[in-house]
Amino acid sequence: MNSSASTRQESDRLASKSWLKSLLARPEIGPIGVMLLLFGMLGYFSIPAGEFSLNPFAGEGFNALGIRNNLRVIAQLGIIALGAGLLIIAGEFDLSIGSMIGFAGACMAMVLRWGFAIVIPYISFEGGMHVEFFTLFYIDNVSPIGAIMITMCFTLFFGWLQGFIVVRSGLPSFIVTLGGLFFLRGLTEVSLRAFNHRPDQTKGATTVTELPDIKNIIDVPGHGEMERESAKALPEADLMAILKDVPADTIASITERLQYTAQRVADAKTQIMATKGVKPLERALENAIESGNETMAETIRNKIDTFVVNPVVPKEITDIDVARAYIDSISSARPIANFFGGDILEPIFDFLYFPVDWNTNNFGNQFAPGLYSCVMIWVILAILCYVVLSRTQAGNWIYSTGGNLQAAKANGVPTDRVKISLFVFSAFCATIFATCQVFEVNTADAAKGNLKELEAIAAAVIGGIVMTGGFGTVVGIIVGAFIFGLAKEAFFYIPGIDGSFYRVFLGLVIIASALLNENIRKRIMGTL
Amino acid sequence: MADNATTPLIETRGLVKKFGSFTALNGVDLTVYPGEVHALLGDNGAGKSTLIKILSGVFKPTDGEIIVEGRPVSFASPRDATNAGIGTVYQDLALNALTSVTRNFFLGREITHFSSPFGLLKMGEMDRIATEEMAKIGINVADPNQPVGTMSGGQRQTLAIARAIYFGAKVLILDEPTSALGQKQQMEVLKTIRKVQKLGDIAIILITHNEIHARLIADRFTFLSLGEVIGRGTSKELEGDDIKRLMAGGAEIGDLAKELAD
Ligand SMILES: Nc1ncnc2c1ncn2[C@@H]1O[C@H](COP(=O)(O)OP(=O)(O)O)[C@@H](O)[C@H]1O
Ligand SMILES: [Mg+2]
Repeated sequence: MNSSASTRQESDRLASKSWLKSLLARPEIGPIGVMLLLFGMLGYFSIPAGEFSLNPFAGEGFNALGIRNNLRVIAQLGIIALGAGLLIIAGEFDLSIGSMIGFAGACMAMVLRWGFAIVIPYISFEGGMHVEFFTLFYIDNVSPIGAIMITMCFTLFFGWLQGFIVVRSGLPSFIVTLGGLFFLRGLTEVSLRAFNHRPDQTKGATTVTELPDIKNIIDVPGHGEMERESAKALPEADLMAILKDVPADTIASITERLQYTAQRVADAKTQIMATKGVKPLERALENAIESGNETMAETIRNKIDTFVVNPVVPKEITDIDVARAYIDSISSARPIANFFGGDILEPIFDFLYFPVDWNTNNFGNQFAPGLYSCVMIWVILAILCYVVLSRTQAGNWIYSTGGNLQAAKANGVPTDRVKISLFVFSAFCATIFATCQVFEVNTADAAKGNLKELEAIAAAVIGGIVMTGGFGTVVGIIVGAFIFGLAKEAFFYIPGIDGSFYRVFLGLVIIASALLNENIRKRIMGTL
Repeated sequence: MADNATTPLIETRGLVKKFGSFTALNGVDLTVYPGEVHALLGDNGAGKSTLIKILSGVFKPTDGEIIVEGRPVSFASPRDATNAGIGTVYQDLALNALTSVTRNFFLGREITHFSSPFGLLKMGEMDRIATEEMAKIGINVADPNQPVGTMSGGQRQTLAIARAIYFGAKVLILDEPTSALGQKQQMEVLKTIRKVQKLGDIAIILITHNEIHARLIADRFTFLSLGEVIGRGTSKELEGDDIKRLMAGGAEIGDLAKELAD
């Protein structure tokens, strides 16, 4: 007997792979490919017509404002996709995410607008039987953190309840959360209408408006707390008074920056005037050449060559301008509201405008103030989810609960607790989404979040999550959110194409991803 | 190998299990000694799986006693049985095919930096232990991060057995470990059982349909038929034909031949 044959083992039959092969076998590789393709599409298609560039970042899709807006869409979807994705890995579904967003936003906005009370109805017999209400307590002025906490109490409870019903009854989560979808959306509309019976509201409206711009409430020296915009609209004397206590070097740097802006704006105006002035001459030249009038053409050519516009003189910087710019630089007196609804990376975006001059729009002003805060929140949540799923005991429990429920149970994994926790986490993500939205736009609407649950599930599937559970990664979920968000933008820029084609594209990507995921899963299960 | 002077590791006395009006077990006595391979044999429906499910805490007996190392016990859950040192390797092995060898080895008992579900896993230590423990009973895993789904049936058995032993099993219950495997892998599992036996005091209760396998490695036999013990003995005491006869539920080969002829 050949000795090398006798020492051979079953495990030797698993061919060791080259690094390239094992890279290509990673479940995220397909989605990452699609993501890069969409990056390229967005870049090239958004390059303005008539211009030529090999650099995709020259396109409108990747100018400062494009990045700001795209990342917002991607991050918002990314936040709820994390909740949906982790739950799917554990083998369950949540169709109530969209309604949960609507409910959370409405709840938070109502508490911020009208306060919070616990009211107990009871039947009174004095003067005929009727229902009376006893107000246990009423807080009129609820802080942002208070409103978030109160909302979380409701939404996390609903998440827990759905999870509890699923694990206790053994019903498919699809049905239970479908119930949640209708229940929560209805509850949101009903309660908004009920509150909008108040005399100060449009009767029957399912929105909350006229919230103050909470994240922009600042402490103005000598005036106390007020909204930034009202502070900037103060009488000139007040503005001058505010400026008195500002250190000289701060004033100097603000002034320098305002002068830079004035110069940019003036340059842009000059540029616009020049193009506008030359355009008619160029058209006349074309006509002249067409009609064969050589002398005429020559004259016009001369005119074009000698065409000059007087450069626009930059606007003078006044103390009032400096005072308003100073007010713009005061940081928020409501850090929690600002954390969820404000901007981040402002110093970097400022730097990219002055001195770098990249973050500049066509009129010479700064293009984007920064990124939406929800991007940061998404990054934080994604890192946490990554660590939990791939590096902790809880992660192993999540995978096994979805991968082989009986095996997990037999090994003592508290599978019911795992599932319920993830239903709660899904509700948490929906609430975070709503929180960002409320503090960004200062309104709420019962229709908010419509269809978001399906988008979140789609992003997770595109990112390599298998619907039957037990398989997928956080990196995949992130990539899925990118693909979903980028597709919408990229198709918008393709010339001569209906923007809704992005849905056609996504539909195909979803099916292709699901097929691919199933194939990878079967290969790992050893059934292929 | 089995020494009757020592106390049995696990013993059942008059075990009865009724499912409604159906009596699955009717007064079963079983005695398993340290270090022995105890074959539990019987026809389909004899009650073998029911018996081991009682031993592993899945079912509660309707009547009768379970005695572990001389002390009567009662199991409220599989956890209790595991803690008492009874490790069961189920037919479906209780593995998650989609995750790695290490993750399965430590499933439910992961080693973490802080004793919290959110404590970071000590992946390096866990990889090392899983590899070592499986090597002890005969399998060198090339990569402890390979998904269990890519392993052969025999390797999966080894993983499940190594896991049970590492987490303190004194009695290993193997429910038809070879039934779903090919010839070569069946031998692998038998070799693994031998290696476990050589580790020392661990007893193995082996349920099988395969007479040859039972003969090859069992030290002691218990035969079940229709929920009752119809025979028992050590490998020395039983003659070749006895085993065949008792496995068939006590009928003589001659009777069977006659039945066929009728
Ligand atoms: N949960 C149960 N409920 C009712 N009857 C059962 C249950 N489990 C097993 N039985 C019955 O008990 C008998 C013994 O089954 P089992 O222990 O699985 O036999 P074996 O493993 O020896 O083939 C069978 O007739 C089976 O139908
Ligand atoms: Mg059986």
